[in-house]
Amino acid sequence: MHLLPGFEYYEPKEISEACKLLSELKASAKIIAGGTDILVNMKKGLLIPRYLVGISRVPGLNGIEPENGGISIGSHLIVAKLVEFEIIRKKYSLLSKAAAVLGSPLIRNRATIGGNIITARPAADLPSPLLAMGARVKLKNKRGEREVSLDAFFKGPGQTVIKPDEIMTKIVIDEAPPFTGGDYLKLMHRRSLEIAIVAVATRITLDGPNGLVKDARIILSAVAPRAIHAASAEKALIGERPTVKLFEKAAAIASTECTPIDDIRGGAEYRCAMVEILTKRTLTTACKEAKGK
Amino acid sequence: MKKLITLTINKRSYELAVAPNKTLAQVLREELNLPGTKIGCGIGDCGACTVILDGRTVNSCLVLAVQANGSEITTIEGVAEGQNLHPVQQAFVDHGAIQCGFCTPGMVLSAKNLLDRNPRPTESQIREALSGNLCRCTGYQKIVEAVRAASGAAKK
Repeated sequence: MHLLPGFEYYEPKEISEACKLLSELKASAKIIAGGTDILVNMKKGLLIPRYLVGISRVPGLNGIEPENGGISIGSHLIVAKLVEFEIIRKKYSLLSKAAAVLGSPLIRNRATIGGNIITARPAADLPSPLLAMGARVKLKNKRGEREVSLDAFFKGPGQTVIKPDEIMTKIVIDEAPPFTGGDYLKLMHRRSLEIAIVAVATRITLDGPNGLVKDARIILSAVAPRAIHAASAEKALIGERPTVKLFEKAAAIASTECTPIDDIRGGAEYRCAMVEILTKRTLTTACKEAKGK
Repeated sequence: MKKLITLTINKRSYELAVAPNKTLAQVLREELNLPGTKIGCGIGDCGACTVILDGRTVNSCLVLAVQANGSEITTIEGVAEGQNLHPVQQAFVDHGAIQCGFCTPGMVLSAKNLLDRNPRPTESQIREALSGNLCRCTGYQKIVEAVRAASGAAKK
């Protein structure tokens, strides 16, 4: 049986108390949110923190609230609620779609949105839709708060710009412009408890119901050290009429923009080929949604 | 250092001192004499340790007992009422949805939680709700049939 190594446990009741604790304990402390990742790593001996700081009882981290027409999501919100909240399903459907295929129902009832971001796994489900929606994260420490665009947050596998004394408190998503649609597709060997072989999140904005592409974001997951923009493919879409041909062209470009590895889930060549398929499919769905169909 | 926590398990209140590195699954089995909750993989993959924590199914091997402080928990021991099996349990018996039995407590709790939230689930909703619970005997078909039958029984 897997046993957890020993540690001391703190459970701050206020965000200020949590920040103070982290500034004192520094790198010997780790935050525990849902625990679905950190406890596994601790049981496997990959991580042996001296202190764990549980933030589940810190007020304000477990809900959603409107922010400047968009939405602010508490970092400790469990993944299941991203599927349950009607406002997220309707206005941020990309995020709901990704949340619905994360782990298993049991995992989604514990894992948090903040945890799925901070662990910075290249195949994580939530970063790619959040990147496609241009999300930002709020990081707080004893001295204050800073806001970082998610594009600037990830550095590599398990690596982010968050400092040991900082706590991610909120994830902020702006309201989507009119005539915007999105989609997320995850290719898996089985339908539950699975890590993506490849996943693609796209968001497309038209300048009218039958208009040209005004903005496009294509995020590729599990094919690079972090979720990446298919930047040339995005550029190829902008200003053009959204047609099947255009999406095929963009998808072909996207497949050349990733740098996957061969591993147990799939070969690099296969992954590139699947990037092309998933990009085309997500663009097609996103475009339909943008036209209001 | 041990921490004092309160847990309400199967409607009974417990106050106990636990080490921070004890999982809820360990505390249920080793300290509270509730061994119906099984520990399989220990890393959140198999669902054998499923309990209902404040209305949601969770892998109790990935919950620290200290994190559950103040929570209401239902384990398999709290599903039957006295000598009367819960409709889900009865349906598992009637449909032969039990082989070695190791996954059964988790399967029953995931199924019960589904029916509490959605009394008339479709087959795909049943499969989805049980998708975090693995049966190594691969008796999934009978388990799904049992849950479907129980959903009929539960509406009476």
